[in-house]
Amino acid sequence: MMPSISAIETAHTPAVQAENVSKAFVSGQQRTQVLDRLTLSINAAELTLISGPSGCGKSTLLAVLSGLQKVDSGRVRALDSELGQLDLRALERFRLQHTGFVFQGFNLFPALSAFEQVELPLNHMGLSREEARRRAQRSLEEVGLAQRMRLRPSELSGGEKQRVAIARALAKDPELLFADEPTSALDSANGQMIIDILHRIAHTHGTTVLCVSHDPRLVVHADRVLAMEDGRILSDHRRQTPPAADHGTSS
Amino acid sequence: MVPLARKTLIYEWRRFLPAMLAVGFAGLLQLLQIALVLGIFGSTSVYITGSSADVWIGYPGTQSVSLGRSIDVDVASRVLMDPAVRRVESYLWVDGDWRGPGNTGGVSVFVSGIDPRADGLMFSRALAPALRARLAEPNAIVIDRSALDQLGVAIGETATINGQRVRVVGISSGLRALGGVNVLCSLDTARRLDNDPTDTGPTYLLASLRDPSQADAVAVRLRGSKAFGPYTTWSASDFARISVRYWLFDTGAGAGVLFLAGIVFLVGAVITSQTLIAAVNGSVREYATLNALGVGVAALRRVVLEQAFWVGALGLLGASVLGIVLMMLARSQDVPVVLNVPAALACIVLVMGLAAVSGLAAMRSLRRADPATLLR
Repeated sequence: MMPSISAIETAHTPAVQAENVSKAFVSGQQRTQVLDRLTLSINAAELTLISGPSGCGKSTLLAVLSGLQKVDSGRVRALDSELGQLDLRALERFRLQHTGFVFQGFNLFPALSAFEQVELPLNHMGLSREEARRRAQRSLEEVGLAQRMRLRPSELSGGEKQRVAIARALAKDPELLFADEPTSALDSANGQMIIDILHRIAHTHGTTVLCVSHDPRLVVHADRVLAMEDGRILSDHRRQTPPAADHGTSS
Repeated sequence: MVPLARKTLIYEWRRFLPAMLAVGFAGLLQLLQIALVLGIFGSTSVYITGSSADVWIGYPGTQSVSLGRSIDVDVASRVLMDPAVRRVESYLWVDGDWRGPGNTGGVSVFVSGIDPRADGLMFSRALAPALRARLAEPNAIVIDRSALDQLGVAIGETATINGQRVRVVGISSGLRALGGVNVLCSLDTARRLDNDPTDTGPTYLLASLRDPSQADAVAVRLRGSKAFGPYTTWSASDFARISVRYWLFDTGAGAGVLFLAGIVFLVGAVITSQTLIAAVNGSVREYATLNALGVGVAALRRVVLEQAFWVGALGLLGASVLGIVLMMLARSQDVPVVLNVPAALACIVLVMGLAAVSGLAAMRSLRRADPATLLR
């Protein structure tokens, strides 16, 4: 059951719940069970890390929990929506209003400046031009790119590109932020900065951040670490002590 | 709105250049072909467009101005009875066999016997008054500049048409004929050259009206009387259209234009759609990310269509500039090229239609922009 109070205001309230979720991929005669009757709830306003070896199904789990893929059986509930019951349009609308995504590749349009990358999805949210620009500005400042907003991806470093991608997701003010291997293409300093930003987003914005990664550096920063193998959750560790003060994002 | 389509087009112009060139050359090819065909076949109606008659009277069923048969000369009095008609003039068309002083063999010529008076209707727009006046001289002819070599003759020299001696008294321009050579002379001279005993009257009667805008109504009104033998009437613009259309379709040139339009469309669309598809594929991960963030597929499709539109518009712009330059070049070399508004519009529709079809084809590859594929 979902609590009726807002997930953002209350920590440790499920923002996303999966119940007996199964997903298999069939290729020719081969059938691969990727998720196997998995039950899970992700708390609001936390940075939850799903880790595990490659092929364990963690990315598929992220796709299922974020509504990018349908499940074979079971139910996925995100915020107040039963994702399995939404059609393609409704899922798009749900994602537009509630979710942000950060991918391993930065996926930025080569032709657009950092500012425009962030502003573009906001244009589709029905915001006024001024509001969209204000949000884009604020969001880029938050990831420490105030001075680099007019630059195109080709003029930015890998870490800066990923920060633009985070700002693009963050500017939407999402309740749910999904990140897939956000640090794996980055060196350690940049990776650290991305981790700090994601952590800070969870705690200062009350955003539910669900991150899939095998990067061990992330483990110490997560509020909760789920270890996955063969389509099941093997372990569920919660950090006991409250996290230390946030690291700054500017280097 | 962030103008993603335009920004990408400008930033990655090299990627879109082949599509713009394909669209541009497709447009140019079609434009020049239509202009040439209109120019060449437009000359088949120069007898009508070069004259100031409002209504033409000729033998019923005549398919082109060059295919007339003689009508009874008394039809003129019937026509003159209509109060709208200001004056009537005869025009005699004679097919002739030319034997010139040069070594040219026989050349088939179209002899136009016209009224040489200064206010004559026939060829009033194509023939300078001084040249027209010289036709009053017996056996005097005027030939077109473009046919001088063909006829092997120079001004002042003599030749024979249908065995009758004629003398070149002037050179006109802009009276190029299709399938033969135009020779202008007076009605009297033309009658002498005509060796067909069945030709008893003029081939056509030309009427000028008090109010030229009434041409269609008067043409309809003058039809139907059988008292003076068979004849029918056309407004000048209708008769010109009929003549051009006859040649367009009788010679297969019209089919050629349509065939080339099809080829141009196909080739242009293939190249353009491939370029646009490559552009979409090049950005498919970015599109997928936008879709993951909730930007609908419909909005992404609009981006692709907008790119197609700009590719079409820029290609068209290039084709227009090049087309105008080439047509000016053609005109300066006496190559008949004509472009009218419907033909230009047809080219625009063809090119933009090509771009639209390519955009729709490229839109299909957006299906690959599935955000789930970004999660590995």
